[in-house]
Amino acid sequence: MTKRRFFPTLSCLAVAGICLAATAAHSADMPQLPQAIKDKGAIVVGTKCDYPPEGYLDTSGKAIGIEVNMAHKIAEYAFGPGTKAKIECVTTANRVPSLIGGKIDLIIATMGVNKKRAEVVDFTEAYAWSASSVLVMEDSPIKALDDLKGKKVIFVKGAWQIPWFEKNYPDIEHMRLNTVSEALQALMQGRAVGYAHDLPVQLGLAAKNDKIRLLDQQYKIGIRAAAVRPGEKEWLAYVNACLDKMKAEGVFPVWIKEFVDPAQQAEKLLFWDMSKKPAS
Amino acid sequence: MEYHFSFPYIWGAGPDLMSGLWMTIRISLVSIAISVVVGVVGASIRVFQIPVLSQLTSFYVNFVRSTPLLVQMFFIFYGLASLGMPLSAYWSGVLSLSLWGGAYNTENVRGGFLAIPHGLREASSAMAFNKFQFLILIALPVGMRVSIPAILNTSVSVLKNSAYLQAIGLAELTYVAMDRVAMDFRTLEMFAAIGVLYLGLVLLLSFAVRRLEYVLQRPYRTS
Repeated sequence: MTKRRFFPTLSCLAVAGICLAATAAHSADMPQLPQAIKDKGAIVVGTKCDYPPEGYLDTSGKAIGIEVNMAHKIAEYAFGPGTKAKIECVTTANRVPSLIGGKIDLIIATMGVNKKRAEVVDFTEAYAWSASSVLVMEDSPIKALDDLKGKKVIFVKGAWQIPWFEKNYPDIEHMRLNTVSEALQALMQGRAVGYAHDLPVQLGLAAKNDKIRLLDQQYKIGIRAAAVRPGEKEWLAYVNACLDKMKAEGVFPVWIKEFVDPAQQAEKLLFWDMSKKPAS
Repeated sequence: MEYHFSFPYIWGAGPDLMSGLWMTIRISLVSIAISVVVGVVGASIRVFQIPVLSQLTSFYVNFVRSTPLLVQMFFIFYGLASLGMPLSAYWSGVLSLSLWGGAYNTENVRGGFLAIPHGLREASSAMAFNKFQFLILIALPVGMRVSIPAILNTSVSVLKNSAYLQAIGLAELTYVAMDRVAMDFRTLEMFAAIGVLYLGLVLLLSFAVRRLEYVLQRPYRTS
């Protein structure tokens, strides 16, 4: 090599070396994407479609929300910027069968962690926490959970409020419907005296509707996580890494501002900050 | 991933399944009975061409046959309540299944009436029977025997369609299965169990109707 070409070549090599090192360092942040997902070229994620602001439909019928954005973010990390995840609407009752049956590869659908569920799916680390609450009509005489004794309460099929009430208030009559919207409609039509479900969704419902109100009493604090099929360790590690990255990048406050009314943003932020979770 | 099919689980869910089964039987039998009556009334109106009622019956049959049953159920359960006429899940179920079955039975019975030999019509006019006497004494006995297979078909459909009522919160068999799956995730066990139970119910219903047909054929048997 002549003297004239030596330094330009050396500096090109140096730059190339630095770039390679940088890429290597970047991909060392994230574990290996499982081959099965790589081959598919896309991730299929089950989210809620009736549960604002985590997952709901906009006016054109497209799924949007905080958890939907989480799904799209994971797709971006896996396949590059601009990639979107394929979103499948799931309900509390059918999210686990959809996962086990292979219809979806990942659940990010307001799923609470408990022992029974952990026997059939593998949970990621927690990304949010929640409490449970009861909605009643604005003019209802019911003020506390004890007032519900012997009355009819609406639940969504599969919700963990059901076993909690079966244990703590066994004489309550249950009416179990399939979705949040059906449950709310049934409550407003007077088919039951209360509707028991998660505080995050009921906060939003009560804020938008002055005919219903939340009981002051809350119960059953729990944590929320994403879920994959049991035994898929690579995929679990990958999703956990994605969740860590999202937390580090500070995306959750941004998304909460995007999807939540200003009046409730502070309250919502609490649920997405694991350090603020009460002891029980 | 291995799946371990668990018979003990199905056995454990037995009491819940039995209560769901009983609700399915109750609501199906009531709806089938009402839908047969609706069918006879509707067919009579159409065959005798009673003004106004005839057109209304035609519209009712076409409407029910052109809209999905689930939509009809939601309309009756949620829609009527919004209009100030709330019905419980049970009565919403009976109403929607009876109207649905009644529309199909109207056509089934009408087909039976059309199969009545014309000579019988002439003979009854000759004997100065009025429309009502013709209906009770001749049209129903002869016409219904022809339409029994079709009515059985519709009745089986009513029984199977009672499964839709899980969406309005009625605790029948499919509701119990979906509820248990939502809590315990044993999809295969639950849906296999109710599949077998529904099959059993349909076979029982078919057997009962075939016995009825046998009994009704007695006047025509030569041996």
